[in-house]
Amino acid sequence: MSQDVKEKMESKAKPEDAKTGAAAQRVVDPDYLILEAPRKKEFITGSEAAKESVRRANVDIAIAYPITPQSETMQQVGYLYAEGYIKDYYRGEEEIGVMSAVAGASRAGVRVLTATAGPGLMRGLEQIVSWPGGRLPSMLLVMCRVVNAPLAIQPDNIEISYLLNSGGIVLHGENQQDFYDYPLIGFMVGEKPEVTLPVAVAVDGFFVTHARGWVSMPAEDIKLPPRDCYHEAVPMMDNENPPIRISRDSPIQKSNFISYQMHAAWQQEIWAAQERAKKWLNRWLGGLIEVVNPGAKTMIVASGAAVSQGREAVRQATEKGLDVGLIKIKSIRPFPTEELTEALEHAEKIVIPEFNYVGWLAKEVKAAIDRTDRIIAGPRVFGGMTMPTELILETISASE
Amino acid sequence: MSLKTIRPATGFKEYLPKEYQDLIDDGPFLRQRKVSELGSFKEAIEEHPMCAGCAMTLFIRLVFVALPSLEHTVICGTAGCGRLAITQGAVPFVYGNYGDTNAVATGLKRGLDIRFKDQPKDVVVMAGDGGLADIGFHAVMHSWFRKEKFTTIMLDNEVYGNTGGQDSGMTQKGMVMKMAPTGKKFEKMDMLGLAKTAGVAYTARISTTNPTRIANTIRKAVLIAREVGPTFIQAYTSCNIEYAIPTPKVIDDARDVEKDRYGFAEYFSDEAQSYWDESEKERKRLRKAAKKIK
Amino acid sequence: MGNKKKTQYRVVTGPEGILPPAATLMGISLPEEGEGLVEGEIVSEAEALEKAAIALLTRKNPTLFPGPLVLWGWNDHTDEKAKYFFDVANELPGIRIIPMPDYRPIYPKIDPEAVINPCHPNLTVLHNKIEACVFIGVHCHYASITLKIIRAGTNCYTIALCAEAGHEDAMASVPNFDIEKLIRFKDTIIKVKKNGIKPLYEGLGIVPTGWSQIASLKGKTPIKPEEELVEAGVSGAFSNELESGLDDNAE
Repeated sequence: MSQDVKEKMESKAKPEDAKTGAAAQRVVDPDYLILEAPRKKEFITGSEAAKESVRRANVDIAIAYPITPQSETMQQVGYLYAEGYIKDYYRGEEEIGVMSAVAGASRAGVRVLTATAGPGLMRGLEQIVSWPGGRLPSMLLVMCRVVNAPLAIQPDNIEISYLLNSGGIVLHGENQQDFYDYPLIGFMVGEKPEVTLPVAVAVDGFFVTHARGWVSMPAEDIKLPPRDCYHEAVPMMDNENPPIRISRDSPIQKSNFISYQMHAAWQQEIWAAQERAKKWLNRWLGGLIEVVNPGAKTMIVASGAAVSQGREAVRQATEKGLDVGLIKIKSIRPFPTEELTEALEHAEKIVIPEFNYVGWLAKEVKAAIDRTDRIIAGPRVFGGMTMPTELILETISASE
Repeated sequence: MSLKTIRPATGFKEYLPKEYQDLIDDGPFLRQRKVSELGSFKEAIEEHPMCAGCAMTLFIRLVFVALPSLEHTVICGTAGCGRLAITQGAVPFVYGNYGDTNAVATGLKRGLDIRFKDQPKDVVVMAGDGGLADIGFHAVMHSWFRKEKFTTIMLDNEVYGNTGGQDSGMTQKGMVMKMAPTGKKFEKMDMLGLAKTAGVAYTARISTTNPTRIANTIRKAVLIAREVGPTFIQAYTSCNIEYAIPTPKVIDDARDVEKDRYGFAEYFSDEAQSYWDESEKERKRLRKAAKKIK
Repeated sequence: MGNKKKTQYRVVTGPEGILPPAATLMGISLPEEGEGLVEGEIVSEAEALEKAAIALLTRKNPTLFPGPLVLWGWNDHTDEKAKYFFDVANELPGIRIIPMPDYRPIYPKIDPEAVINPCHPNLTVLHNKIEACVFIGVHCHYASITLKIIRAGTNCYTIALCAEAGHEDAMASVPNFDIEKLIRFKDTIIKVKKNGIKPLYEGLGIVPTGWSQIASLKGKTPIKPEEELVEAGVSGAFSNELESGLDDNAE
């Protein structure tokens, strides 16, 4: 074969403009990607939905550690790395290492993602709760699976309660569709200069991660704009932006030279930043809550997979002629205190079904609204039990 | 670009504190400073809150002189005495959680490599024996196994100094410390041996006796980490408070300990050795060429 | 946001007390482009600039605090911005310029005439008896902290000219503060003076503060900060009564 024939064949096989992976994608406005781009429906698992979200999220680095049920998602993210959608990917040593490396990567100014579940979240918790104070935008996917002991790998979202006081943003997805949408929204919200916070997107493991559902998504040739790290609340640790003397995470515990006020004001600022996130969450989530059948005398308030059961309960209750509505809480942090107060103003009875023993959502709602005697803090299932809609309906009628 | 971060915008220089004006005019950024020049230029670190006579502080000061590219370096530390001084240096300093240095540095280095393809960024971990050999042990080891390209410097004072004198894994056997009331029960950890086993490209054991050697060792470690793989320096930086070393005797102690059990020792992997030999040759060639031009 | 209840809370000059709340959490929202924030209320950008100009012209020992993002020439934009920064300074008689060159906790102690630091900004404000100040080019996280600490313990009127979304904890703030807005601020100061606001330090230029500035700013006359504090509408050290809930020894 002559040299130029060979070259021609090669060029035919691989045309010069053939781009793959991220290179074949174009950056679009987040409004377009999240709200406007035409979508197509696919029947996929939650893990696959997360993968499709990450594919379009312009992620720079993903750091993985296997733990059920999250492993599959991070494997899927690994395939994205192999396909050229992510610039770096590795399996870390364990969660302290992974969550620390996430903090390092975020300080470097890149967009970083990891995922974890129950015990892994517990192991990485010291690191995770330090991200907001470090003002470290990042994405943590949490596939809830209960906290040991006894060891369990069943859907139960008790681990979310450990994130509530971290200062980070916590979104709780109901289904596969949310698991596609929320990470994209989370990246954009967390990187807003006035927010500059990490975002956790939690879903109930197995129900969402392993089961299939309909997910509508835009084409895969578009992606979010890259992280704009010089427009955030703190300097990057890259020695390219001032000040050169950066003790960004200043050790301020020495009361003899630093005022306690620094630490106090610092904490206030983290929670203020969370409050500022509401504006952007409202824009892209379409509100921190969704209300079904507003004005109903009995309102179910739920988050995560309990919302789906709540929807079905509302349908069945309506068939029976009962006046039941539903509030889906999408954002646990920031908590929709004002929205709930308003949407529950008229309610005579508030039922809060949960997939955990401690009832963290009921406590949150109780702290947020007035006339708390209206609240029935249940029903609850835990340790991997499913929640039959009958249980919700029984709870509603039992209190009549 | 990064040198611009130490250049004031037009008109602002006169308003900066003297310390910064000196750093701009006579700082360590524009060219590699030598140990012999100490006292004749504005160092990256001067004021600090460390105890009088602290050997660790001397070592840290020398690190700031030795770093081959201050304006492209980021330092990671953790709780301990050292960070009180390191935060005062004119180099970005990451103060993470307890013992997370080498995991943070992994993410940081990889992130910087993604963003700065044509500009090497040096990540240097500088933390204590407790931070690296005890609480941060797993992260240190795994960063070495993964061959992460950054330098780890252990400020080994053989004690938890900042919390008031508890024994660490690097404390010598038999020492009576705050959490070893009847004497420490096991040997000082062999971190250098572990480093070698883990495939670290260059390791060095050093005491605080010879400033030029300290500077050269650090420079070597950072440059090898940039090109070859992880490097590790274990430096004896005594705690004169917890070990009750009289302030004027700190360097004497460093000499004694060096003679006794902390003698200078370095190890190169084959790859590191050939890289270093080559780059030495190149430096010699450049020096000769420069002389000719003169 | 539509569902946000109108808040009664106002971000006024302190001393507010040991720990004032974050204004955001008291219901204060950030302004949009074209708007400004004055004492917690959304106003037009022009009004916010005017209020800021009046404060700087009439309150004692006015000071500009340029942060790292403007005082270091780290990109081409900063050099250009610096020129307009000094244009503003030159329109403010008796103005001091004290930089915030970095954010580290400074050992062994800060020189409050030479720098301001986010770890204890109140020291600089109190030492120099500053009653009106501007933060510009400070990263938002440190600006927010600084503003809260100043409002806690001083009677300083804080102005945040922010390149991003603005600051609820400042008494006056304008978002997306670029060169265009610096020019508009300068024009506002000129207009305010023309409209009859008599500058407190008529005839003075930029006043050096601290020995290093006096040494390097040739041709400028050092003047000690004015002694008395402008009345802040309070008699004691704090506007809020400390007895209510803060007395550890109360029986």
